Amino acid sequence: MSYLGQQLVNGLTLGGVYALIALGYTLVYGVLQILNFAHGDVYMVGAFIGFFVMVGLGGPLKPSVPVAVMILIMFLVAMLGTGLLGIVIERFAYRPLRNSTRIAPLISALGVSILLQNAALLLFSANIRSYDTSSYISSTLGFSFADITIDGVRLFVLVLSIALMFGLARWVNGTQVGRAMRAIAYDRDAAVMMGIDVDKVIRWTFFVSAALAGAAGVMNGLLLRGVSNGMGLVPGLKGFTAAVVGGIGSIPGAMLGGLLLGVVESLAQGYLSTNFSDTITFALLIVVMLLKPNGLLGKRAIVKA
Amino acid sequence: MLKLSNVTMEFGALRSISELDLTVNEGEIVSVIGPNGAGKTTLFNVITGIYTPTSGSVELEGKSLVGLDPARVNHAGVARTFQNVRLFLNMSVIENVMSATYGHTRAGLFASALALPKSRKEEKAVRAKAEELLSFFGSRLTGYRWDQPAYSLSYANRRRLEIARALATEPKLLLLDEPAAGMNPKETQEITQVVERLRAEKGLTILIIEHDMHVVEGVSDRVVALDHGVKIAEGNFDHVATHPDVVEAYLGRGAADRK
Amino acid sequence: MSENQVPEEIQESAATEAAKLGIGTDEWVAQHEERIARKKGIKGLPQLINESIPAWARWGVLLLISFAFGAFVDNQYLLRIGVNLGLFVMLSYGLNIVMGYAGLLDLGYVAFYGIGAYGYALMSSEQIGHHWSTWLTVLIIIIGTALLGYIVSLPSRRLFGDYLAIVTLFFGQVFVQLVLASDNITFPWAEDYVDITAGANGIPGIDPFSFFGHKFLNIRDYYWLLLVLVALLTIAISRVNRTRIGRAWRTIREDALAAESMGVMVNRLKTMAFVTGAAIAGLAGAIFAAMQTAVFVSGFDMPLMTMIYAAVILGGSGSLAGAVMGAIVMSVLPEVLRVTNYSEILFLAVLVLTLAAVGKSVKRFTINIVGIALIGFLVKILLGAASIKTTPTKEWVVGPVSRALSHWMYVPLDRVLWGNCAFVILIVLIAYFTTTTPRIKSILLPVIGYLGIFLWEVRLVTDVNTTRQLLIGAMLVVLMITRPQGFLGKARVEVL
Repeated sequence: MSYLGQQLVNGLTLGGVYALIALGYTLVYGVLQILNFAHGDVYMVGAFIGFFVMVGLGGPLKPSVPVAVMILIMFLVAMLGTGLLGIVIERFAYRPLRNSTRIAPLISALGVSILLQNAALLLFSANIRSYDTSSYISSTLGFSFADITIDGVRLFVLVLSIALMFGLARWVNGTQVGRAMRAIAYDRDAAVMMGIDVDKVIRWTFFVSAALAGAAGVMNGLLLRGVSNGMGLVPGLKGFTAAVVGGIGSIPGAMLGGLLLGVVESLAQGYLSTNFSDTITFALLIVVMLLKPNGLLGKRAIVKA
Repeated sequence: MLKLSNVTMEFGALRSISELDLTVNEGEIVSVIGPNGAGKTTLFNVITGIYTPTSGSVELEGKSLVGLDPARVNHAGVARTFQNVRLFLNMSVIENVMSATYGHTRAGLFASALALPKSRKEEKAVRAKAEELLSFFGSRLTGYRWDQPAYSLSYANRRRLEIARALATEPKLLLLDEPAAGMNPKETQEITQVVERLRAEKGLTILIIEHDMHVVEGVSDRVVALDHGVKIAEGNFDHVATHPDVVEAYLGRGAADRK
Repeated sequence: MSENQVPEEIQESAATEAAKLGIGTDEWVAQHEERIARKKGIKGLPQLINESIPAWARWGVLLLISFAFGAFVDNQYLLRIGVNLGLFVMLSYGLNIVMGYAGLLDLGYVAFYGIGAYGYALMSSEQIGHHWSTWLTVLIIIIGTALLGYIVSLPSRRLFGDYLAIVTLFFGQVFVQLVLASDNITFPWAEDYVDITAGANGIPGIDPFSFFGHKFLNIRDYYWLLLVLVALLTIAISRVNRTRIGRAWRTIREDALAAESMGVMVNRLKTMAFVTGAAIAGLAGAIFAAMQTAVFVSGFDMPLMTMIYAAVILGGSGSLAGAVMGAIVMSVLPEVLRVTNYSEILFLAVLVLTLAAVGKSVKRFTINIVGIALIGFLVKILLGAASIKTTPTKEWVVGPVSRALSHWMYVPLDRVLWGNCAFVILIVLIAYFTTTTPRIKSILLPVIGYLGIFLWEVRLVTDVNTTRQLLIGAMLVVLMITRPQGFLGKARVEVL
């Protein structure tokens, strides 16, 4: 029982990270109907920013500020940095293509992805970095509860990801920009005619989407996974899988999809095979897409003729 | 030839077509009229297999079309045009027509790759047939036009090309979705003649959606009026055009009362 | 008069022009599209070349050159480049069918290449101890990859563009991970683990091809084999493209719903495109494995995928000549970049050409060159005055160009750090450049030029692979914005 509980907690934590990435895909897809291929690499950049901020503040062992403050600063800087990166990517790689063919933004995004990966390779070298090799942070924050050992970092990541999701939901439903965003997702032409500043809303969408990926990147680092220039590909794929499984364009769908994916992957690793867990995730994607092409919470699209 | 009985099409809570019965006899030209949102195009989509009806049956010459994909419905003998003209814009005019012969030609991947005599012969025949079909509209779509991309055509010519493309599938029943929309009066008049000629020269049965009442009056043997997915009137043009329910559907209750 | 209104004289002249030509408005409108598409100057060059040389002449010359290359070149290294080019062309052809004709975005395409290579390796090496005949092995691979292509195509029946892209991308990743993980499989009924693929170690010692007792021991054998294969494929694919199946593929790319309503069996054709592409890639993979005599899974991952895509898109998706051109650029260019001497010259040539294209007039061009030269001297003098150490010339110089540049350019001691700074500044400046006013642009241009040379010489020249990928990435973005149809492709009209 405790093993299962452990796996579930791990899965939910991982799922929180996936959900944040998935939300980024879903937001952009909802507004522009493009698949932001570079999203996984934005996540990678976030992880790097978090790493360098941490090193700048003295590292996990000798931080110049309390650990909690350090982690807070890491998240803030990484989210701000990736958010701005998101705006820049939109401005230069997507905006010129807004009225182009369907395939062009996809290829352009592929280009951005390659650029980011190799820029990171050039700037940071191919070394795989780790946030906290001695697990210092997690060992100071851990506690156990009814046979399940919960390390503090995991719990923190889980809570923060859920908090970010709620923040996002509030932003989308409660603010002017969020409402404008939903209006554009529903009908862009009509939104333009109603006087909505589409450029501004799309900028915000990219900012928020990328900032969430940046937060996910820092979380990935805190969960003691390696940070390297190629780290974005697989989580990017899984984030997209989560978005699709939940129903792309749907915000609750992305959350559900992310958590589900994390749990499935964690259970697959725990009970079936460590090496083939990605294959199992892929199988899940295929099954969902064949059975429910619009995802678990997606709306059914009506073919127009 | 075409027989719809008790067809209902629902999208979630929205009922686009409700318990519709419709028969089109061989050699007949039947018009479907009705205000916007009456379910006319949905009706076409149901017949051509793009939608599967929620309930009811669609039969062509006694064979059911329900559940067939659009390609197989086409092979069964139903061809259509689209309200918003859906050509293969980046392909040449003649390729647009030639591509529609897919259903009744056979050359496969290897036959084409090896240029077997069989496939070459077929290709020649397809080309000749496409040229012949394009000449149906006089010289407008012939000669140098053959190899121009479809996007270079004027609006009216795109509509003509779409009809030629539909003919290339060798249909028995042709569905025309607002063939006169966006045309000028002269072109509209010509469309009336084209529809007549399609029946006379190609022996087609035609179901046509049209808003232009001159066209409807000019071509129809029979008119069916739809409103909110329900058939509200059927008969010859004069009968339907003056039917109080039709007038009401178009102009509102007051207008019908005044009449 | 409002801004949007067309001045009357222009309207009139348009009308008279049409009347003078004695053609209908329709015709005039048709030509108008072409007139807009036809660009003048350097930008119109690819199209001009494309239209002025007849197809048979182009292919004939290409065949002649390839033949001469195979017959007279003895250098093993050059022959190997030729073989790689042949493989690249095959891969581009296959992808061109899937993406260029049928319009299906298959990002897992390279996995079929890998499966072909691994399939051959497993059936012709000591890995699991089989040495089957080449005929049989190749046949199995073609059929096997085709079958797998069929399976991968199944989701394409339900999925469109982006969704399909991600599913296939995932498929490619699963292939890589399966190969990596399959060196250590434990079955419940067996005690020992089973090693199928040797994981990241790769499979060495693969048998070369052997037909009718003739072993392919020389690279040249593979060159001839590929030349014949590519020639046959060129003929076959262009024939298919012109006839029934090819037309149907293109109708799917144009408008799948309309195609289906016109009787085109969309699902069957999508599958056919996938299967054909997969089989071609599988065959290419088998040839690759036999030629290399060793396979490593890292060679079938994303970097190769992006290069194949770049090749097809650069040349012009949907055009065979474009696929060949793209393959030449993508497979020969890296070899050129590998030799620092050439890469320096190449870079300067590209820089000068870019300046010429951007500058538009001789005067501006001269100003830019002089500006770059001045900045170079200025930086060298200023940093020299601040007595910041430089790298001694003999440690840095890699070729004649850098020798000449060493008198002019400041070369920092910590080249990685300075190069990185230059890289970041350069990107920021280029981004700013594209959005700013012409006046600031003209000031920025020499600065960007200088930084470009600086970055190239101190950093990129020594880091070939990264440089190559950076260039591909930048090229994809720029190409999509400026010429999405590629160099030899036709401009497409799409209704959204």
